[in-house]
Amino acid sequence: MNLPKQPLNQKIFKYSITSLIILASLWSAAGLEITLDRIIDAPKQIGILVGAMFPLDLSQEAFSRIIPKVFESLFIAWAGTVIGSFFSFPISFLAANNFTKGIVSKATKQILNIIRAFPELILAFIFLPITGLGPLTGTLAIGIHSIGTLGKLSSEVIEGIDEGPLEAIKSSGGSKINELTFGIIPQVMPTITSYWLYRFEINLRASAVLGVVGAGGVGQELINQLRFRDFPRAGTVLVCTIVLVLTADAVSAAIRNRIIKGKLVKS
Amino acid sequence: MINIPPKPKASYLAKIGLPFAFMFSIFSFNMIDFNFSDFQNNLQNRKIVTEPLFNPKWQWAWDNTSSALLETIQIAILASIIGCAIALPLSFYASRATNLNKFSYFLYKSFLNLVRTIPDLFWAMMFTVAVGIGPFAGVLALVMFSLAIMGKLLSETIDSIDPGPMEAAKATGASHNQTVFTSALPQVLPNFTAYFLYIFELCIRASVILGLVGAGGVGRIIETQRIFLRFDRISPIIVIILAVVILIEQFSVWIRKRIL
Repeated sequence: MNLPKQPLNQKIFKYSITSLIILASLWSAAGLEITLDRIIDAPKQIGILVGAMFPLDLSQEAFSRIIPKVFESLFIAWAGTVIGSFFSFPISFLAANNFTKGIVSKATKQILNIIRAFPELILAFIFLPITGLGPLTGTLAIGIHSIGTLGKLSSEVIEGIDEGPLEAIKSSGGSKINELTFGIIPQVMPTITSYWLYRFEINLRASAVLGVVGAGGVGQELINQLRFRDFPRAGTVLVCTIVLVLTADAVSAAIRNRIIKGKLVKS
Repeated sequence: MINIPPKPKASYLAKIGLPFAFMFSIFSFNMIDFNFSDFQNNLQNRKIVTEPLFNPKWQWAWDNTSSALLETIQIAILASIIGCAIALPLSFYASRATNLNKFSYFLYKSFLNLVRTIPDLFWAMMFTVAVGIGPFAGVLALVMFSLAIMGKLLSETIDSIDPGPMEAAKATGASHNQTVFTSALPQVLPNFTAYFLYIFELCIRASVILGLVGAGGVGRIIETQRIFLRFDRISPIIVIILAVVILIEQFSVWIRKRIL
C-alpha cells in the first residue's frame, strides 16, 4: 500500500520544536541545579509531609482559630470583587471602542493593562504600610487588581454586542443615554454578571494566599503552622480552605449557569 | 392606546439572590473592619512608601536582579513543560469522550479538581517544607499549578471533540487506545499548544511571587527588601519584572498567532 508521505518541512518543524523543548528544559534544570536524584527523592519527601498532616488536628481550639480566618478570606474575596465590579463597570464603557471614540478607548485600555500587570501580592505589600496589617489591605489589593481584569473582560463583552437594538433606538429618536440603558446594558448584563462571579472564584484563591504578607485571611495561618512545624494543624487549615473553595465554586458555577443559560422551561 | 406586553416577573433567584448579595456585601465590608480614623492616621505614613517608591534606585536593581530574574524564567519554563506533559495523558482519562470507565473518569476528574482548589502559593509553602527552600520547590509548585489548569482546559476540549473520526476509527476495527491516539489526540493538539503557551505566561507571572515564601526566583529579592521597607529598591525591580513579563507575553502571543 502506498501511503502519502508527510511533507518534509512539516517534519523538520516537528523535530525542531521537540528539540527546542528538550533543550529548554535541560537548560532550565541545569540552571536551577535540579538533579535526577532530587526529582526521584521528591515524592518520598512529599509523602512524609502529607503523612505528618494525618490525623488532622480536629481539636476545638484549632477550629476556633482557623474558621474565622477562613471566613475572613471569603469576606475579603467578596468585598474585593464588589469594589472591582463597582468601578470596572463604568470604566469598561469608556474602554469599549464602539461606545467611545478611539483615543479615549485606547487610553483607558492601556490604563487597565497597567493595573492588571501588578499581581495582588505586590499591590498588597505596597499598601501594607499605609493601610495596616489586616484584611483591609487584602481587600484593596484584590479590588484594584479586579478592576483591571474585569474592566478588560467587560469592555470586550460591550464590544461584541449586537448593533441591531441600538439602531432601532436611534431610529425611534432615542438619545445616547437611552441607547445605553435600553440597548447596551440589557444585552451585556448577564455575561458581565457571570464574569463578576467568575472573578469572585479567582479572588477567593487569591485572598487565601494574601495572608503570606500579612494582608489577612487564611494564608497567614498556614504559613505560621508550617513554620512551627505543627503539621496536623496545617493539614486542617488546608482541608478547611479546600472545602471553602469547592463550596464557593459550586454555588457560583450554578448561579452563573442559571444566568447564562436561563431557566429550564419544561414543555 | 397601545397594549404594552407585561414585563416578565422577576425570577425566584433574582428576588432572593440580589438582596442576599447586597446584604452579604455590606456584611463583608463590616467584617474587614474598615476604620476610617485609623485609615486617616495611617495615611499620614504614606510617605514611607510613596517617597522611596518614586525614587527608584535603578543601578542597584540592575546589579542585583539579573540572576534571580533568569532563575524565575527557568522555573516557569521547566514547570510549564513538566506540568503540561503530565496533564496531557491525565486529561484523556478525565474526559467522558475518551474514558469509558465511569469510576476512573470520576477519580481523575476529582483529582484534577482537588489540585486546582489549592492556590499556587500554598503548594509552594508545602513544597518548601517538603524538599527544602530553593527553586526546586517553586518548580514543583508550578508543576501542580499548570497541571491543574491544563487538565481542566484540555479535558473540557476533549469532551467537545467531533465524534466522527473516532467512530470512523472504531469502524475499521481499531482498539480503544488506537482510536484515542489516531483520532482524538490530533484533534486537540493545536488547542494543547495554545493552552501550553497560555499556561507558560501564567507561570511566568506566578513565579515572580513564589520567592515570597522561599521558593526561588526574583520574589526572594523582593521579600528581603520588603522586610526592610526598601521601596526605593523594590520599585525598579517591579518595573523590570513587568517589562520582562510583558515582553515574554508578546512573544508567546506572536507564536500562538503563527501556530493557529
